[in-house]
Amino acid sequence: MAPHFGLAEFGFLLRGLQWTMLLTLVAFVGGCTAGLAVALLRTCGHKGVEWIVRVYIGIFQGTPLLLQLFVVYYGLALTGLKLDAFVAVAIGFTVNASAFLGEIWRGAIQAVPLGQTEAAMALGLHYSSRMRDIVLPQAIRISLPATIGYLVQLIKGTSLAAIVGFIELARAGQIVSNQTFQPLLVFGVVGAMYFVLCWPLSWWGSRMEARLALAGQR
Amino acid sequence: MQDQILIEMKGVQKWYGRYQALRNVDLTVRRGEKIVLCGPSGSGKSTLIRCINRLEAIQQGSIAVNGHALDDSIKAIDVVRQDVGMVFQSFNLFPHLTVLQNCMLAPIRARRISKTEAEATARKYLERVRIGDQAEKYPAQLSGGQQQRVAIARALCMQPKVMLFDEPTSALDPEMVKEVLDTMIGLANDGMTMICVTHEMGFARQVADRIIFMADGQIIEEGAPDAFFRNPQHARTKQFLGEILAHH
Repeated sequence: MAPHFGLAEFGFLLRGLQWTMLLTLVAFVGGCTAGLAVALLRTCGHKGVEWIVRVYIGIFQGTPLLLQLFVVYYGLALTGLKLDAFVAVAIGFTVNASAFLGEIWRGAIQAVPLGQTEAAMALGLHYSSRMRDIVLPQAIRISLPATIGYLVQLIKGTSLAAIVGFIELARAGQIVSNQTFQPLLVFGVVGAMYFVLCWPLSWWGSRMEARLALAGQR
Repeated sequence: MQDQILIEMKGVQKWYGRYQALRNVDLTVRRGEKIVLCGPSGSGKSTLIRCINRLEAIQQGSIAVNGHALDDSIKAIDVVRQDVGMVFQSFNLFPHLTVLQNCMLAPIRARRISKTEAEATARKYLERVRIGDQAEKYPAQLSGGQQQRVAIARALCMQPKVMLFDEPTSALDPEMVKEVLDTMIGLANDGMTMICVTHEMGFARQVADRIIFMADGQIIEEGAPDAFFRNPQHARTKQFLGEILAHH
């Protein structure tokens, strides 16, 4: 007799949800940090550096994320570097996120009017101050809707981590479903958990977008 | 002191790709001089002043500001930008900072003075452009004329030796032109060295020591306002003055 979906099963899903959130957090924080570097190098004005970063972005945007996870988990293992599943997927998602966020922020940096940089230069401000005090604060505001949108994609995308045996929310749902033979109920709960996580972010993102559009009209 | 040369441009040539924007420009500006640059659009006026604080690089010739030669080194560019303030056609205030913060940022970061000192300086110059009561507002809450006066105060806070004005009233509604010109006239009367790219010929007549007319990247003609308006020498100057004064 198979167990019914009860508190123990729900607790198992909750633990899966925790891992999904942790993986998202690590990938997003890591991706933001590396993505900032990508965006800054991509706009640094040095042709060679910009070209290298463009190739980097192209590789991670132009190949399936699944493939990238395989490479980190199985590929690195072949070279003798055996990584824990969580560490492997965290690295994979972080690097992937750095390319996407880097490209989003590159666009935002370039969307800040050139006059802002010129005024800052005319005032004698150096590159670091121009970026920190003038360009990035405006670029971050511009990029906020797209960044939040990417975060939502990232949360849902972490379900791919199941492929290398990492038990996050989607994989936990699959396991519970196999045990209880109640796929509709189980995946219904799993879907609701994703929704509770993503929907407020999406709502916040579209509200930011509307506010930015309004500010742009002034 | 009156004869001290602040800006010296010699044989300056500048290209954008194959297009030559400046042709063999020589210009000497002495301390306290007020110069108005005029000419048809695309004649190189803006390019010329943007070369002085190295917003544009030149390909040939030399530029020196306050005795410091301007080359490609960060140090030289720094030294020159400390001495040269600039006001833009589109104001270019920092929209995410208050008026006061706009004026305090560069002195704190580039001159490394204390916050208290920067604020005192900022309030002094905001007062001087008659906008002291708006210090806590954001640029978007001000009118165009007010924004441009903030931009002037912001440049003055760096205590420059020369001020460059790049068509400062061209983006303004007509009723706001006067308040900005009055601010500039005040600045001129206080002895500030100024180079103004402008089509405001009334301002030129009233303030300029010299008017320089440019076309096709060259200085065609220059002179004191009286002689320049009454008796222009070149056909192109006559044509330009004919067109621009017809509307006044």
